Amino acid sequence: MFFHWLEKNPFFFASAVSIVISFAGLIEIVPNFSQAARPIAGLKPRTVLQLAGKNVYMKDNCMSCHSQLIRPFKAETDRYGEYSLSGEYAFDRPFLWGSKRTGPDLHRVGNYRTTDWHENHMWNPKSVDERSIMPAYKHQFTNVADIETAYAEAVTVKNAFHTPYGPEFKTTRAAWEAHRPKVIEDAKKIAADMKNEGVKKMLAEGKVPEIVALIAYLNSLK
Amino acid sequence: MDIRELQGYASFFMTIFLVVMLYWYIVHLYRSEKRGERDYEKYGNIALDDEITSTPVEDKPASQRDYTEKNK
Amino acid sequence: MQSNATLEYDYSLAKKFTFLTILFGILGMLVGTLIAAQLAFPELNYLLGEYGTFSRLRPVHTNTVIFGFTVSGIFATWFYFGQRVLKVSMAESKFLMVVGNIQFWLYFIGALLATISLIFGVTASKEYAQYEWPFDIVVVLVWVLWGINIMGLIGIRREKALYISVWYYLACFLGIAMLYLFNNMAIPTYFVTEGLGNPLHAVSMYAGTNDALVQWWYGHNAVAFGFTVPIVGMIYYFLPKESGQAIYSYKLSLLSFWGLMFVYLWAGSHHLLWSTVPDWMQTMGSAFSVVLILPSWGSAINMLLTMKGEWNQLTDNPLIKFMVLASTFYMLSTIEGPIQAIKSVNAIAHFTDWIPGHVHDGVLGWVVFMIMAAIFHMAPRMFKREIYSKKLMESQFWLQTTAVVLYFTSMWIAGITQGMMWRAVDEYGNLMYSFIDTVAVLHPYYMIRALSGVMYLTGFLMFAYNIFKTMTAGKELTAEPQFRTPMA
Repeated sequence: MFFHWLEKNPFFFASAVSIVISFAGLIEIVPNFSQAARPIAGLKPRTVLQLAGKNVYMKDNCMSCHSQLIRPFKAETDRYGEYSLSGEYAFDRPFLWGSKRTGPDLHRVGNYRTTDWHENHMWNPKSVDERSIMPAYKHQFTNVADIETAYAEAVTVKNAFHTPYGPEFKTTRAAWEAHRPKVIEDAKKIAADMKNEGVKKMLAEGKVPEIVALIAYLNSLK
Repeated sequence: MDIRELQGYASFFMTIFLVVMLYWYIVHLYRSEKRGERDYEKYGNIALDDEITSTPVEDKPASQRDYTEKNK
Repeated sequence: MQSNATLEYDYSLAKKFTFLTILFGILGMLVGTLIAAQLAFPELNYLLGEYGTFSRLRPVHTNTVIFGFTVSGIFATWFYFGQRVLKVSMAESKFLMVVGNIQFWLYFIGALLATISLIFGVTASKEYAQYEWPFDIVVVLVWVLWGINIMGLIGIRREKALYISVWYYLACFLGIAMLYLFNNMAIPTYFVTEGLGNPLHAVSMYAGTNDALVQWWYGHNAVAFGFTVPIVGMIYYFLPKESGQAIYSYKLSLLSFWGLMFVYLWAGSHHLLWSTVPDWMQTMGSAFSVVLILPSWGSAINMLLTMKGEWNQLTDNPLIKFMVLASTFYMLSTIEGPIQAIKSVNAIAHFTDWIPGHVHDGVLGWVVFMIMAAIFHMAPRMFKREIYSKKLMESQFWLQTTAVVLYFTSMWIAGITQGMMWRAVDEYGNLMYSFIDTVAVLHPYYMIRALSGVMYLTGFLMFAYNIFKTMTAGKELTAEPQFRTPMA
């Protein structure tokens, strides 16, 4: 009898469990993959500086308190802007939607906050609103952002997933050295709107502080 | 037939199939007890009488067993 | 069987993993209490400089209680009752002992290093899958070693029928293996370029909406196969054994097993309601979440009915109290979850504190209570001594029960309050509250939650102390107790 050996034989039992539990994944997830991966028209991949900022966002785990997903309700679109579309996330690896809003949503924060605002806020959130319970992230003003890793990430996603980065993105160290000044230049543009002296000094030495990369990333969230 | 349609059919029939299996399983559980082929409730004793020296509830491998255990 | 007259069950691995369970339990709950307090008193964010902010510590808390505390508890109980229900001793196989010990050390060192990596911000950022790729490999190795042990022990068993708890542990093994592998697929950037950047960094194989789907298919079912399946397996062994009553209906336990296996996996997409995943998937997740009540309650009712005719034990055996309360909280959180998965409820509940509230009535009330009960049951058999203090156990029970109730009630109120305030509009249709208004209003609830954390942690320390004293100062036992755990 079919059920008898299923109950007794560990191998058949394990196979049966595997079939039953993988069924949902096969039906729900797999067929939708190609559909959901399509970017919206005109979507550009993030620059190396913005990627480095995304990595700072991940390192300090901003998504434990901030979402990046605007749901299609009037209350949300009034507060945060247009609701989110699947294609906008097509180049996000990993996705950073978050699951808890201890702080507000950030998916379109680049539309209504400025470099200056972020600088004040990250240095001391209570200076923006004294009721804020967000911790200050002063260490981001002195830690150096890892732009080389960000570059490696850009090259990896270009080669593995055809993310549309230009032909100058190559796996070699020489290509990275050639691209580096571009990143520093982007960083200087951000820092031009900032007042922290330490940040400017670090940039002059060719090092990008984490805060600059993070602000570049936050400004790109639109 | 595109993949979405295929997916729809696969999902529908597989769900029906598994639901039938589940109900068949209930019928099987009760029927084999009624016919005296099997006493499922005795397996509950595996936890109660679990000394290394105690007699196993079932000590023959599945392949050598004749499915006509007598219930008391 | 004459040859087995001197043969005994070998509890050395069960003991080792029990120590880890307690160690990681204290660590994880300490961090949890700290971050709960940080939300009420933000100054506490600056105790450890950059490494002590809420954001860095939250994954430390979640990963330590999941992969440290709970998984150790699963291993400890497996190395205890796995032998017993299969009626075979670990001592009968040198190979399995060696594999088990390698598993233990690899797991211990791996878990410590992984935790440290999270403090330093080395993270893959997917919830409960934050470990970067080298630690993922350690996790996979540990899991494979455990699999070898399960299969090996089953291979040399005397009891040919597999008890229902073994079913659940096998499912836990298979489920976590599948989910963990697929969700953590990533490409290490250092190795596909000319050695550029940080060797620890990897980039996810999935992007955007796909990544979200895979992640919550994993995230939800890590709860299924880590917090539900093995804990149900645990209670199916420990409750009958402690009370001396066989499972109320063994047939119902088999049926709920298959029901749970089939239904649970579909519900993952209820974490993504109103997001950019297709509507039909959201609806499916929602519907299956409601269906999930059936197999969950099937198990829970079966546990409670096991006590039929023996409810007097509830009043005089605190261990039974722990387990009955655990099943009750299991029922509560498996009805609460489906309610939150209804789309209109989710519109308010999602992103609020009601979600952590739901998680914690499940884990504090169900998972931790059950694991502590299991350890209380195992301790006198492993150390051959009576439980040190019944009184301490009683007071711990009431302290922690109060803590759980404070936790979830405060978070329910906080969550629903904030959810309603986010969408409140005045007579002209303008939003009534700025975001910070909805944060400030939560302060009292965050204080209550922090208090409940302190209470629960205190209870856990009492538990650790009780077990420590049992090991060192409990009255020695001459024979292994059959059912009821002896306590002074």
